Amino acid sequence: MAMDFIVERLPELLLRTREHLLLSGVSTGAAVLIGVPLGIYVIKKTWLRSFVFGLAGIVQTVPSLAMLAFLLILIGKIGIVPAIIALTLYAFLPIIQNTVTGLEGVPPHLIEASQGMGMTKAQQIKMVRLPLALPVIVAGIKTAAIISVGIATLSAFIGAGGLGEFINRGLSLSDTRLILLGAIPSAILALYVSFAISAIEWGLNERKRRQVKLLKGSSGKLLSFIPLIILFLIGITGYIPQTGPSRTEKPTVTIGSKNFTEQLILAEMMARIIEIKTGFHVERRLNLGGTMICHEALLKGEIDMYPEYTGTGLLAVLKSKEPFTTPGEVYEFVSREYEKQFDLKWLPPFGFNNTYAFAVRNEAAVKNGWKKASDLTAAADSLKAGFTAEFSERPDGYPGFQKAYHISFGKVISLDPALMYDALKKGQVDIITAFSTDSRIPGYNLFILEDDKSFFPPYNAAPVVRKEVIEKYPEVQKALALLSNLIDEKTMQGLNFEADQNKREVKEIVREFFKEKVLL
Amino acid sequence: MIKLIDINKSFTPDVQVIRDLSLEIHGGETLVLLGSSGCGKTTILKMINRIIEPSSGTVLIEGKNILEQDPIEVRRSIGYVIQEIGLFPHMNIEANVSVVLNLKGRPEEERKRRANEVLELVGLDPEQFSSRYPDELSGGQQQRIGVARALAANPSLLLMDEPFSAVDAVTRELLQLELLKLKKQLSKTIVFVTHDIFEAFTLADRIAILHEGRLQQVGTKEEIISSPETEFVEKLLMKPKKQLSAFQGLM
Repeated sequence: MAMDFIVERLPELLLRTREHLLLSGVSTGAAVLIGVPLGIYVIKKTWLRSFVFGLAGIVQTVPSLAMLAFLLILIGKIGIVPAIIALTLYAFLPIIQNTVTGLEGVPPHLIEASQGMGMTKAQQIKMVRLPLALPVIVAGIKTAAIISVGIATLSAFIGAGGLGEFINRGLSLSDTRLILLGAIPSAILALYVSFAISAIEWGLNERKRRQVKLLKGSSGKLLSFIPLIILFLIGITGYIPQTGPSRTEKPTVTIGSKNFTEQLILAEMMARIIEIKTGFHVERRLNLGGTMICHEALLKGEIDMYPEYTGTGLLAVLKSKEPFTTPGEVYEFVSREYEKQFDLKWLPPFGFNNTYAFAVRNEAAVKNGWKKASDLTAAADSLKAGFTAEFSERPDGYPGFQKAYHISFGKVISLDPALMYDALKKGQVDIITAFSTDSRIPGYNLFILEDDKSFFPPYNAAPVVRKEVIEKYPEVQKALALLSNLIDEKTMQGLNFEADQNKREVKEIVREFFKEKVLL
Repeated sequence: MIKLIDINKSFTPDVQVIRDLSLEIHGGETLVLLGSSGCGKTTILKMINRIIEPSSGTVLIEGKNILEQDPIEVRRSIGYVIQEIGLFPHMNIEANVSVVLNLKGRPEEERKRRANEVLELVGLDPEQFSSRYPDELSGGQQQRIGVARALAANPSLLLMDEPFSAVDAVTRELLQLELLKLKKQLSKTIVFVTHDIFEAFTLADRIAILHEGRLQQVGTKEEIISSPETEFVEKLLMKPKKQLSAFQGLM
């Protein structure tokens, strides 16, 4: 069973591993090429050094996802370029720090001796300081490489591939096997990278080489590079572009999605209906890390469309404070504003409203007589809430809720959307912001509290598309129109259930659904 | 010949380390700079190979003002031995000894030959020691390598900054005797810094005594013992005299 799971995914596993190597290898290499010379340069320049260290330190504290989102805005690209830049920035600090520490750690009497015998500053660095600092510098490079391999798993959030693709998908679909399929190889990779770098360290050190039989000969120096060369060769093959003849002949549309089950299903539906009805080539850049990244990618033309919710467009993107309540008003407003501000078009909605909803355990609701959100007022102080990071922060999320209901929970923690249902079920939190179409609401026996102050706007799902694309290819709009009003809340909950609870492949679920609706 | 003329040196405006110092060091002689720590003897030594520059005054070597010469070239032409030895731990003994020749761009064959010569000169078997590393050697052996390294490029001038003070008394005496032997064999000019009056009297042709940045007296051992010129020098000589009489009393 587990074996089948891996064998089935072996080709993708190899592809993702190569991508992962490319991401972490190029970024670590770049960080070494910049960090080591810069470290040498700043060693005697106190203010410049503090500046560089301060900057590198600040960069290190920027959360990875925020960094990726920021770079996406700055460079206007998703994919490997911003990912490599982000990883390089992270790898930079340990390298420059260890370079400087290593160079400064050389005992003063050795510097005095080298100065006294007539070495120039450059010779002191080349012949004495660098060789003596080398173990410390190499340790820094090792740290950087391991950080890089680790953080590279997040690159999947901006469509850069790598082993994070599995982890990301596994988290979206709450599939532990997929998470492990990404996490285990990346852990092995980190260990191997550390080994490869140590091998070179030994190979370059004549004294250590004498102790290892294999490296003793004159070819020992070269031999020690082999583990790294193997990595490099594997990585470089990931860069060979896959040439499909269909690509050049047929127009291509690129579809994105956020990183949770429903988005994956909707995006796959959009992709499939376009493929069937137009014969276009569809590129899927799914599982991007959140609304910001999808929206930016759409604006920059990195993707052509993705499924979005009207309420999210209204509040998170347009940051509107208009007091709309009906789904029609909201849809009309976001359609108009998106076209005016961004040249983006909202196509007809899929037919369901996936609003935020406060969910509690059914037995807790029964015991305390909770029916609606205001019923929580008395107990709020003793309740522990688990919210998505986005909800905790957005003005229309928890801060707005506090104002509208005058309720503040005793403790609030941020949870990944994939984990919060489990946390609630297991009693680790008492209340979460569920999505009303999530399959785990019936699955985990949860109860949705009524939003009695109409705090949450409607969140009707619909494809958002670049205007340029549908003007150029009207057939795309025609194809997507077939999905309008096709899915109600129950249906969506059912489709999510198939993926989340029954662990079925999204493609298969969509294929089956289309068959049922005679869309084939 | 080395001439130090009217040397003054301050590291900070209110602390003057060397005051109005003039000193001649003759070719081929061993001159010992003697004084307690902080008296400025190391500072003077380091002015000779331009690691430290005087605030005012002139340093002449063979009539040439070294302050007008490339410091790197000046240092490469002078042998330099320090108390901490400063052997490079990542280089084997041969590489350590021939490092100055390497800096001067001499071919490998010459470096190897010369390394063997100087190792033999300081009494270490090249075959046994060439490929070892500094931390595999005893303190005395390391200091011999330090001397060998300073001699490798065959400089006519050798600066030694308390080279034997970190080794045990027995080894120190052995190294002193070997240095005396080397001195006769090689006829180099040696400037030797020490705070140990016995070491000074063992090694010196002439002794220059320093106190608080001022030169107290320069002369041969006999001159200094027979006619100490300052109160400090007199006090300095009291110590061995006292020790001697105490020792005789015991006998």
